[in-house]
Amino acid sequence: MAKGRVSIVVERCKACGFCVEFCPTHVLALSSAFNSKGYHPPHVVHPEKCSGCDLCGMYCPDFAIYGTKADLKSEAAKAEKASGGAK
Amino acid sequence: MKADPHGVLTGTHFIDGDHACCEGALAAGARFAAGYPITPSTEVVERFAARVPLVGGCFIQMEDELAASIALQGGVWGGAKAFTVTSGPGFSLMMEHIGYAAMTETPCVFVDVQRGGPSTGLPTLPAQADMMQARWGSHGDYEIIALCPNSPQECFDLTIKAFNLAEEFRVPVMFMMDEVVGHMTEKVIIPPAEQIEVVPRKHTRKSIEDYLPYGTNGDMVPEMAHAGEGYKFHVTGLTHDERGYPNMTPQTQDKLVKRLQNKIRNAADRICLFEEDRLQDADVVVVSYGITSRVAQRAIDLARERNLKVGKLRLITAWPFPDKKIVELAARVKAFVVPELNLGQMVREVERAASGKARTFAVPHAGGGVHKPEEILNAIVEASRC
Repeated sequence: MAKGRVSIVVERCKACGFCVEFCPTHVLALSSAFNSKGYHPPHVVHPEKCSGCDLCGMYCPDFAIYGTKADLKSEAAKAEKASGGAK
Repeated sequence: MKADPHGVLTGTHFIDGDHACCEGALAAGARFAAGYPITPSTEVVERFAARVPLVGGCFIQMEDELAASIALQGGVWGGAKAFTVTSGPGFSLMMEHIGYAAMTETPCVFVDVQRGGPSTGLPTLPAQADMMQARWGSHGDYEIIALCPNSPQECFDLTIKAFNLAEEFRVPVMFMMDEVVGHMTEKVIIPPAEQIEVVPRKHTRKSIEDYLPYGTNGDMVPEMAHAGEGYKFHVTGLTHDERGYPNMTPQTQDKLVKRLQNKIRNAADRICLFEEDRLQDADVVVVSYGITSRVAQRAIDLARERNLKVGKLRLITAWPFPDKKIVELAARVKAFVVPELNLGQMVREVERAASGKARTFAVPHAGGGVHKPEEILNAIVEASRC
């Protein structure tokens, strides 16, 4: 299970690519989608590799991306609930 | 490592302290400066701006001192040796970024050609009243190194030393000149490049995967990598861990700030330079630095003519303060006389280190000129009687 999760605010992005370049675990790539300004925001290509370190958030000049640590306990509980408590 | 011969203007010159400081920076390998020129320091960057393109570097005139003092740090993280030059009013504006350089361990040199203050004060006249600001001006606990030249020759020699110390300890070094030393023209001998020792950047040999920007491996000074080399890390003024990531816990703060302090304090004996003369039989020691030390020399000579047992201790390194030397002297002399172009700054350090074992006599001067030798002589006479 991934240790973290990246959240992207696509409308703030100007596609500088810093997050893609600097992500230590290569989670991101620029997408082919457009935001309303015509830029290609990043998207997550390897969610399982995210460590939640937030280096992307520290680099982003536009506050358009941030990483968060996964709450592993509640994730596990959610997974358990989804599976109907079956072991 | 020897100096790059391109930057070394070998020969015998008749130049002022500001120009000698510029040549020292070039000899030390400085290839970038950002500044907002201010009297009486302007000549340093004026010469640098003309000279540095010839050796493959550049000078940028910034919009103010805040910008200058942070642009120079960008230059350092880009791989250059860099410095900025200012005087009191600009030095005040640079304080925030001196703290940033201390926190991010950015090796750089801040030259302060001191003039009379406070505020705009005396733009064209000397003072030595920024000595405490150099040490304590930025907020938080940190250590810096400060050097005080007393001649154009020393402006050359000690500028190289300042760059070397900055690189060795990854610390901002304050180069505390004063207007008289800056504008005084004397003979300056610049040796051949192969006789000039320079300390190179402490660049990491680790792979991109193994590199920790603030990992120390038991050493007190971490290794650097530069922007654009593929090492992906974050430089921040926030309290950070070995990876350079913000980590605002008391534990990380304790570890980081104590290391920033101890990397200088533990090496103080090696960093502290001073010149001493006739201390063997001295009852009174004149402690001085910068231009005041040259007036003090005359006063000491006059006192010796009167058979007063006076010695000289000239501080070349003001910070870290040479506590050990003062403690040793305080145990065997009667008094210290401390002339300086301010109303009492380094005298407090002398008094603190002497810790009541010897008396301390300040010889204050508000700046705008230098002491008369007789003023220092009178203090020596008074101290000899105590």
